[in-house]
Amino acid sequence: MKKMNVRVQRFDPGQDEKPHFQTYLVEVNEGARVLHVLHAVHDEIDPTLSYRWCCGSGQCGSCAVRVNGEPVLACMEEARDAMTIEPLKLPVKKDLVVDLEPALDALSHIEPTGSAAMPTREEVELIKPLRSCIGCLACVSVCPAMDVTSFAGPTAMRQDFRLALDPRDTKDRVTEAVSKGLFTCTSCQACWKVCPKDIQIPGKAIEKLRSLANKKGLTLPRHQEVAKMVRETGRSVSRTEPTFMEQVGEVIEPHGPVKATVGFFVGCMYNQRLPQTALDAIEVLRRNGIRVIIPKEQVCCGSPLIRTGQLDFLDTLKRRNIDAFAFRNIDTVLTMCAGCGSTLKHDYRTPFRVMDINELLTRYGIEPPARLPLKATYHDPCHLLRGQGIRDLPRELITQVVNLVEMPSVCCGSGGGVRSGVPEEAAALAEKRREEIEKTGADIVISSCPFCEFHIMEHTDRPVKNVTTLLLEGYREKDRKKAENTV
Amino acid sequence: MYVYYPPYNKMRSADVLDCHVLVIGSGGAGVRAAIEASGYGETILVSKTLTGKGGCTTMAEGGYNAVLREQDSCEIHFEDTMKGGAYLNDPELVRILVDEAPMRIRDLLQWGAVFDVTDCCEVAQRPFGGQRFPRTCYAGDRTGHEMMATLVERLAGAGVEVMNEVTALDLLKDGDRVVGAVGLDEKSELLAIRADSTVLATGGGTRIYDISTNSSSGTGDGFAIGYRAGAELIDMEMVQFHPTGAVYPYDARGRLITEAVRGEGGILKNSLGERFMSRYDPERMELSTRDVVSRAIATEILEGRCTAHGGVFLDVTHLPGQQIEEKLPVMLEQFLKFGVDIREEPMEVAPTAHHMMGGLRITPKCETTVIGLFACGEVAGGVHGANRLGGNALADTQVFGKRAGESAGKAKKKRGRIDKRALDAQETRLSAFFDGEVPPSTVARSLRTAMWEGAGIFRTARELEKTLGVITHLSSLPVKAAGRSNLAECCILQNMLTTASLVVKGALIRKESRGAHVRKDVTQTWDPQTSPYGHSYQSLTRTGIETVVKA
Ligand SMILES: Cc1cc2nc3c(=O)[nH]c(=O)nc-3n(C[C@H](O)[C@H](O)[C@H](O)COP(=O)(O)OP(=O)(O)OC[C@H]3O[C@@H](n4cnc5c(N)ncnc54)[C@H](O)[C@@H]3O)c2cc1C
Ligand code: SF4
Ligand code: SF4
Ligand code: FES
Repeated sequence: MKKMNVRVQRFDPGQDEKPHFQTYLVEVNEGARVLHVLHAVHDEIDPTLSYRWCCGSGQCGSCAVRVNGEPVLACMEEARDAMTIEPLKLPVKKDLVVDLEPALDALSHIEPTGSAAMPTREEVELIKPLRSCIGCLACVSVCPAMDVTSFAGPTAMRQDFRLALDPRDTKDRVTEAVSKGLFTCTSCQACWKVCPKDIQIPGKAIEKLRSLANKKGLTLPRHQEVAKMVRETGRSVSRTEPTFMEQVGEVIEPHGPVKATVGFFVGCMYNQRLPQTALDAIEVLRRNGIRVIIPKEQVCCGSPLIRTGQLDFLDTLKRRNIDAFAFRNIDTVLTMCAGCGSTLKHDYRTPFRVMDINELLTRYGIEPPARLPLKATYHDPCHLLRGQGIRDLPRELITQVVNLVEMPSVCCGSGGGVRSGVPEEAAALAEKRREEIEKTGADIVISSCPFCEFHIMEHTDRPVKNVTTLLLEGYREKDRKKAENTV
Repeated sequence: MYVYYPPYNKMRSADVLDCHVLVIGSGGAGVRAAIEASGYGETILVSKTLTGKGGCTTMAEGGYNAVLREQDSCEIHFEDTMKGGAYLNDPELVRILVDEAPMRIRDLLQWGAVFDVTDCCEVAQRPFGGQRFPRTCYAGDRTGHEMMATLVERLAGAGVEVMNEVTALDLLKDGDRVVGAVGLDEKSELLAIRADSTVLATGGGTRIYDISTNSSSGTGDGFAIGYRAGAELIDMEMVQFHPTGAVYPYDARGRLITEAVRGEGGILKNSLGERFMSRYDPERMELSTRDVVSRAIATEILEGRCTAHGGVFLDVTHLPGQQIEEKLPVMLEQFLKFGVDIREEPMEVAPTAHHMMGGLRITPKCETTVIGLFACGEVAGGVHGANRLGGNALADTQVFGKRAGESAGKAKKKRGRIDKRALDAQETRLSAFFDGEVPPSTVARSLRTAMWEGAGIFRTARELEKTLGVITHLSSLPVKAAGRSNLAECCILQNMLTTASLVVKGALIRKESRGAHVRKDVTQTWDPQTSPYGHSYQSLTRTGIETVVKA
């Protein structure tokens, strides 16, 4: 037996004005789950604690709660001392019990042809992973799009795609999904990351539905424009000034000895819209011994097409990009756009290794910058945090320059084609970011993705900077101090 | 004198709803019944959990038995089931089960169920214990979940009024006839539903045991509710102990390790590394019937050849990793969560209370012995005899769920009235809990331990009598509701006590070893086929055991 202190959110709408926390000291056995801690509270201390459970083995989806902020199944998650247990972010009925019915009732149900003929084995294999949903609604509880716009949500999209795949269903699920908000998903991946059944809804359902929608001519006009532009120019955004690649040579040597050589995949946003940020990054790389090769024939990675389901031109883009680096025998390709990085890592099969700039800099180590007297907050780019699993590395870099105040990691609204396709939703999400930024009291906002930086810039009065720009400012300050001292 | 009125003492007078068919329980049987009944008139489905999430159907992993291939036959399925059930089954019900299981799986397929298929687009089947043909249809190891997902989708299209998190407390009667039920809704308010016919589909009750596979709802409510309403129950002593329950982590002990693990080729070994099944059933080995495998494991454990956590090993490490990943994904995932990679190391298992073979006596039309009351699924008795074959219960839910829904639907409309006094009596019963003293969880814990120790796999009259004494004592304790939200819990505890006493009394009545029921204190000269006994039966008015005159 072992003892644990746990904090549990309590709320009885019949009696309490607002939720409050209660701390309990319980005794459980080795290997106990969160559910067993709740049983212990209920059985030994306070029988009025309400929580839902049924199967006790991860099969029914009754018991999802948040433990230290993260949605988990109480029956499967190992209990930890000092944990905080809260209900999912859904309407609370009592204590840890939330209202699951509206979202579950909103799921489409099959309208059968009446034939019992089974789908083929291939079809079954496609449907099966989507079928393992246990309706716990962890995904719904974290979906940022559902907060600001009318969207049926991740598991509803999963269900629509499952039905679209099934020859026994008679309805047009693609058109239905579009009307339920198919194009409002920002590809933030939050739903997938919390899903206890690891159902990759954005990639395996939403993007697939979007490509079916494309075949039906239902792609949003703004997304069609982007695709047209990629086809015609190789880029997904227009240029507003001389591009990054026009301003640099093909090989950039570092200031000191060479620690590593990498190919640089620039990406449309840094090349066309934010070239100065890319130039800042180059300066930081030079200072830290990284030799950079920039094949000029590289084009858009295709992410804007994949996320919006327009796949016709994709193979051409992939081939051109892979060739550009492979011909030069480059074994490591550097990305500094989170979206490009995630796309190259997951949607490509590359003969080279792909590394995000935060990985590269922390791997080879950086010259210490000077500290700046600023308070910063960091916005986690979805495609870096969830897309590439990179959370701590940018923080390691940032805290070498400034003090960091955390805010919750939530999508800013710029991804998944939402900024172009559903601008009012993108703005509403960025507005929520602004509020969070303000709560931190930070002087500046740091991020590591051009889409996020560009988008958040429009919605906050604080400066928004890339991690590398911040490092560069640290170096400039260091140089300035050094110059002062030598004078 | 100062009188303290707890804030909840005053119940608001109960709402009364009205319908043609009331179905209690939203597992496989209840939902199937509701879908069928909705074709005949207004149907209400209540359950104490969320529909689709509650009950044991969602948890069923291994599969659904149905004769689908030319090489197989219903006759063989019938014989396997009767033999597995130690010939205590009702042959007529078994005949219906095996004949209709294929049609009912076809319904599910028509409604979109995604079972595993072969390369020729036929439903795939795997071998299960005690069957001479691999006839267990499956969806990986989440078969029950697949069925529930399909049924709930169908239900959504059927126009049934679904009331979630309503706990049925008792049936309401007008004279001899059941005319609906009274329950507590999700806010713990009293609720009455008048119905022309009522279907009990509340599932099983092995949570009366310390170690059990059942979901939170498997507390035997239906047995107790039916008993109190005057229905006759049969073979309540027939409790199936599944051979392979998890032993670690301790708080999750009893969690089912599906028979599909052995179906896919898993082998059992004791701590000495011996494949001990060769001593107990050399022919069928690991795929012997559950009663035999459970006793084998229990014996190995009792005789000290057990693992550190008190179980035996169940090993699939010799199987290809891909087979494990595809056919046993839930098992793999659950064990990984608990720190064991079953592709690399063996599982540790021990028997766990799993299934109630006994239950309300039903006719082929699912009529109980009380007019107006129907039963289907695990709460009904007679189909599985003294031991259920793996894969037959899911089939049972569909075959008899449909039959119950149909019979209830076809019953005449508008026949009974609710007696207000019955509702007042419920209110009085509930208010008393506020003055109670012992928390229901404390009583439940004592009950579970007593049942595991005294009415488990091996039984004697002495132990059973002692257990009955404990149950009687526990039943006399004043149970306490700390708040309104605890009222249902208190009532459920009383149901557990009633169900437990039915099990123990049944076990005392049956003075023979048969199927899952082993009386160590009885020496017998007969085998199941020549047994002089038939069903044991218990109701408010009579208790006993049928004797069979053998030709
Ligand atoms: C872990 C596990 C695995 C299994 N695997 C298999 C298998 O592979 N193959 C097989 O054939 N069988 C299997 N079984 C057995 C089979 O799943 C059950 O016998 C069957 O599903 C029971 O179905 P049911 O509809 O009768 O009851 P359940 O599915 O248990 O549903 C009971 C319903 O009644 C409700 N209820 C209960 N009491 C009340 C009340 N007082 N008021 C309102 N509602 C109430 C519950 O909320 C629930 O909705 C398994 C059982 C378990 C526990
Ligand atoms: S990817 Fe993000 S926006 Fe899209 S459905 Fe999932 S959580 Fe919602
Ligand atoms: S998709 Fe995953 S997270 Fe969402 S409801 Fe289903 S199981 Fe839960
Ligand atoms: S209780 Fe069923 S998933 Fe946790």
